[in-house]
Amino acid sequence: MALIRVEHVDKSFASRHGTIAIMQDINLSVKDSDFVALVGPSGCGKSTLLRLIQGLDRPTGGRIYFRDQPIDRVCRQMAMVFQNFALYPWLTVSQNVAFGLEALGWSAERIAPQVERYISVIGLDGFQEAYPRELSGGMRQRVGLARALAVEPAVLLMDEPFSALDPLTAESLRDEVLQLWRDPQLPPEAVLLVSHNIEEAIELADRVIVLSRRPGHVLAEVPVDLPRPRDRKSSAFYDLTDRVYSLITQGGPASEGAPRAG
Amino acid sequence: MPTAYPKASPTEMMGLLVLLNSHKGAEDVALLADDLDLEIDEILPSLEFAEILDLVKVTDGRVVFSDLGKHLVQGTIRERKTILRDQLKRTTLFRTLLRALESAPEHCLSDEELGQIVSLTTAPAEEAVQNIVNWGRYADLFRYDTDHRRLVLVHRPATARSGANRPPPSGGSASSAGGATSKTGRSDPAGSDPAARASGLASVTA
Repeated sequence: MALIRVEHVDKSFASRHGTIAIMQDINLSVKDSDFVALVGPSGCGKSTLLRLIQGLDRPTGGRIYFRDQPIDRVCRQMAMVFQNFALYPWLTVSQNVAFGLEALGWSAERIAPQVERYISVIGLDGFQEAYPRELSGGMRQRVGLARALAVEPAVLLMDEPFSALDPLTAESLRDEVLQLWRDPQLPPEAVLLVSHNIEEAIELADRVIVLSRRPGHVLAEVPVDLPRPRDRKSSAFYDLTDRVYSLITQGGPASEGAPRAG
Repeated sequence: MPTAYPKASPTEMMGLLVLLNSHKGAEDVALLADDLDLEIDEILPSLEFAEILDLVKVTDGRVVFSDLGKHLVQGTIRERKTILRDQLKRTTLFRTLLRALESAPEHCLSDEELGQIVSLTTAPAEEAVQNIVNWGRYADLFRYDTDHRRLVLVHRPATARSGANRPPPSGGSASSAGGATSKTGRSDPAGSDPAARASGLASVTA
């Protein structure tokens, strides 16, 4: 059974200049133990799509299902990790991790051990009482990750989670996310990652879904059948990168057959 | 020779090891940097400290995992931290800091005391001190009490000093106990009778 099904989803916004279509007729699914990456040019609606999937926003048309249930409010089986970490600066690491559980109405007795467990899983022991300002970007994103995982989501949604980090730190965190995803004892079952970095998508995902320019639609689903850890310099990796890159640069409005002047 | 201290963050150094692993554990330093579109001098701090911790060996511009480094990168997040902790304890800098913490009243060092000790060994800048503190926190050797601006020793079962020299274990299940025990003394700077601690540890590590 698919964890997530996105069926014929449209999203548009009304503006002074009329209606702007962000995405059109998006279809995709995320299955158990999937690691799916969404790539596409900026403005194609990747992040908006994540918000729709979690139920933070409503599609203009089409339906989204989680385990065959239509999503009509924020889905508690999913948790989001953000590019800018989205931590509360006045809360300690422990308090930030506890935040999502408090919002779900957990009792204090249940929250404390859960927070401890996920702080330890993510490797944040020693920083429980630290404030976000004391932490490097990598450690801050680990707090974001611990907060998301503490609610034990089936699906982890990640919106450009590594793009604010320096390259070595990003490499380290990508590896840790893979480790968590592969561990059957730990959430999440599946990961849906939004990235503008094609190499990152191919390094991590089992499937890369390529979206077109605005209005975004699915140009292709590219399976990545390479053993991990993936060698970015291998020819197979290069071929996949090349294919996704060509899809992104050649896809878009042109495929709709409406030639544009200029 | 001045005492070595970390110029990269723990996460950056871990990133370097993960990167090296995706290159099958041996690579030219220049090609490794190139893989992430970095200049060599941007990965050198991580490389240097990984070598100090005996996780990699660099010869003629080529970097290769040590057995311990190979073992570390294949471990879980917690197992990695346990190995880092053991290796940090073998460096002069962290040995000095731990000895100072163990002998200090309440096992705490103020910011000034910390700065003095660090400057005796390395004379680094303020951000280097912060990085050193973060390494110790990351490896769960000590914690930092922001409200009182002081470093506090993390009490843990005192695994035999000679154990720091351990060979890579074959199984790996034992090392996860380190993560589980790490919380025991976290917020308990007072009430730290070493004998009481020692008696408690057999059951924790078993």
